[in-house]
Amino acid sequence: MNPLIQLTGVTKTLKGQEEPRQILAGVDLTVNPGDSVAILGRSGSGKSTLLSLLGLFDRADGGQYLLNGNDITSLPERKAAVLRSAEFGFVFQRFFLLKHLTAAQNVAMALVNGQGWLPARKRKAKVMAALEKVGIAHLAKNKPTRLSGGEQQRVAIARALVREPKVLLADEPTGALDTETAELVIDVLLAATYSGCGLILVTHDRQHADRMARVLRLTDGRLSRANERVLT
Amino acid sequence: MIRMSGKFRSSLIIGGQGIRARKLRTLLSMVSLFLGVLAVIAVQAGGQVAEKAMLADIELQRGIDGTESLYLPQHEKTSQIVQETLQGKKGVSAFGSTQITIGEPNTTPLNPGGSSFDPRYSSFGGSGRYTTVCDASGMCYGKPVDEKQPPKGAAIELRTTTMIGDIRQFRPFRLVSGQWLDFDSAPSMSPQIVLNTAAAEGFKNNKIPAELHVQGGTKNATPRIVGVVDDGQGAYSATAYVRADELQNWAPAEAKPPAAAGAGKGAPANFGRSSGSGGLSSVFLAPGSEGIKQTLKARLAAAGAEVDGMSSQRTNPKKQMESMLNLMKIIFLAMASLVLLIGVAGILNVGLATVGERVEEFALRRAVGTSRMLLTFIVLSETLLTGLLTALAAIGAGVIGFEVAAMMLSGKLPALADMSFPWEAGMAGVIAGLVAGLLGGLIPAIRAARIPISTVMRA
Repeated sequence: MNPLIQLTGVTKTLKGQEEPRQILAGVDLTVNPGDSVAILGRSGSGKSTLLSLLGLFDRADGGQYLLNGNDITSLPERKAAVLRSAEFGFVFQRFFLLKHLTAAQNVAMALVNGQGWLPARKRKAKVMAALEKVGIAHLAKNKPTRLSGGEQQRVAIARALVREPKVLLADEPTGALDTETAELVIDVLLAATYSGCGLILVTHDRQHADRMARVLRLTDGRLSRANERVLT
Repeated sequence: MIRMSGKFRSSLIIGGQGIRARKLRTLLSMVSLFLGVLAVIAVQAGGQVAEKAMLADIELQRGIDGTESLYLPQHEKTSQIVQETLQGKKGVSAFGSTQITIGEPNTTPLNPGGSSFDPRYSSFGGSGRYTTVCDASGMCYGKPVDEKQPPKGAAIELRTTTMIGDIRQFRPFRLVSGQWLDFDSAPSMSPQIVLNTAAAEGFKNNKIPAELHVQGGTKNATPRIVGVVDDGQGAYSATAYVRADELQNWAPAEAKPPAAAGAGKGAPANFGRSSGSGGLSSVFLAPGSEGIKQTLKARLAAAGAEVDGMSSQRTNPKKQMESMLNLMKIIFLAMASLVLLIGVAGILNVGLATVGERVEEFALRRAVGTSRMLLTFIVLSETLLTGLLTALAAIGAGVIGFEVAAMMLSGKLPALADMSFPWEAGMAGVIAGLVAGLLGGLIPAIRAARIPISTVMRA
């Protein structure tokens, strides 16, 4: 069986106004279906950059990226958008919910993206199933301003799960939440892996990281197994 | 039912959500665009109305587009041949002119020569020292009034157009009241008469006895005034329209052609071959009446008339007006486009500001799989919907404005009374709104599509 994700020697250099800075210097990573991986690292170590490459927001300068055994290292933008819609779900530290839409409409946003069309009834069923999964179906008609931080993040997770992705990429999803709510959110994310979805969690919180099957640390642009507590 | 693509539906749904979320901004965009679209609608509608009004006036005077006017030669048998040839034919009408007087016999009419009752125009047509006399070719001229004229009486003189075949199929006179002449019935001894509005004014304001006298005739008839039309002459002269076969019996006896005299129902005869007594002078022919024209020429030639001198002329009012109207339209459209451009600038301004505020939303949409192209369509659909809504509002205002203008001006411009808001103006408004939406939304749409997804990672 092909691994879900396989990165080999992936490099990335950021070219800003200052001198070019190599952020990733040969990253190797393998994620299998149902796998959960935590990535730790100091601020600026390149965790988010790595997540950007994994989620096809950006392209690597070197190395190889295989998804289900298919080389997607230099995928054109149009095909990358199709894959982002079909294969990936994203959860960010800030929830990025649109204030003028209800919770259900925010979730439906991932379905109304031009990648295939679902009739309104089917769309609604899928949205409600996703909200049910994260335990907030009863808040479907509420706008984000009437939801707590934890509820908002669960709406964001429902949006990531609604298309039943193969990979869930979470960038510090608990960063803006209290401990109790954060635990709840991690529970919801881990629940997604039971159905075979791969989870890659970028976090500063060792406690949350330890709940994943594997914990890796990004240091000097390379991934290694994490043995010690990370200073945040 | 037309099935719309998923991308198109997605962009419409998201565009609609965007508009609902920013109602005030949408309204401000609409306000800036409204005047521009309204200007385009006004120019288009104004152009259409002007064209129709001008065309209507020209058609009343010279005939509808494509009408061929054939001028008949003066010959003693001309009228008889014309009547026999045109009898029962469609798409053709022969006509001439004469003077008739209705009212007290042997008196000077209230409007000598068929002049207007409106004091502003009473000098037209010979009121005072001159009177108007028309010859067989239809040419009218002023003739000094005989100083020894009888005393004034309750009589009205009418310039009269006598017809074989309905002239209204070529000159679409607007019916003001009553009815138009009935050409299908047998000719009556009591001639039907239709007046123009100027003549009707005279009958409205004066008590006139019902006695009809044809210029040169010896016996008087009882007229039946059946209707009033607007024949495009305004208040310039008092005119009447009569079936030639109904007036013939009251015309001078020597004017009747022997062959047709006493022919009875359906066989009208010439009632005048001499100057001013109503001889047929012209024929209107519809396109495709070449056969009738040739027959007429051949028969006239056989009778000894000089057909080489017969001239004809085709009326093309649309073509004649086209260049002038086009120039007017271009000038006004250029002015309207300038106003529209200001509206486009307004949409562009609001659009750019909105994209700046929605950077995260657009980055997020791309993160969840929306392509750059669809993002462009989403922003464009918002501005296009705004343009369309503005166009609908401007069309509504245009229709109301048109109705009010028509109500207020229909007295001065009778052509307006029959007109409805031209759909071409509505179409122009929709196109202007959509073009403005497209132009105003293009740059914001391109900017939105260029927002990097990593914006959501850095936030």
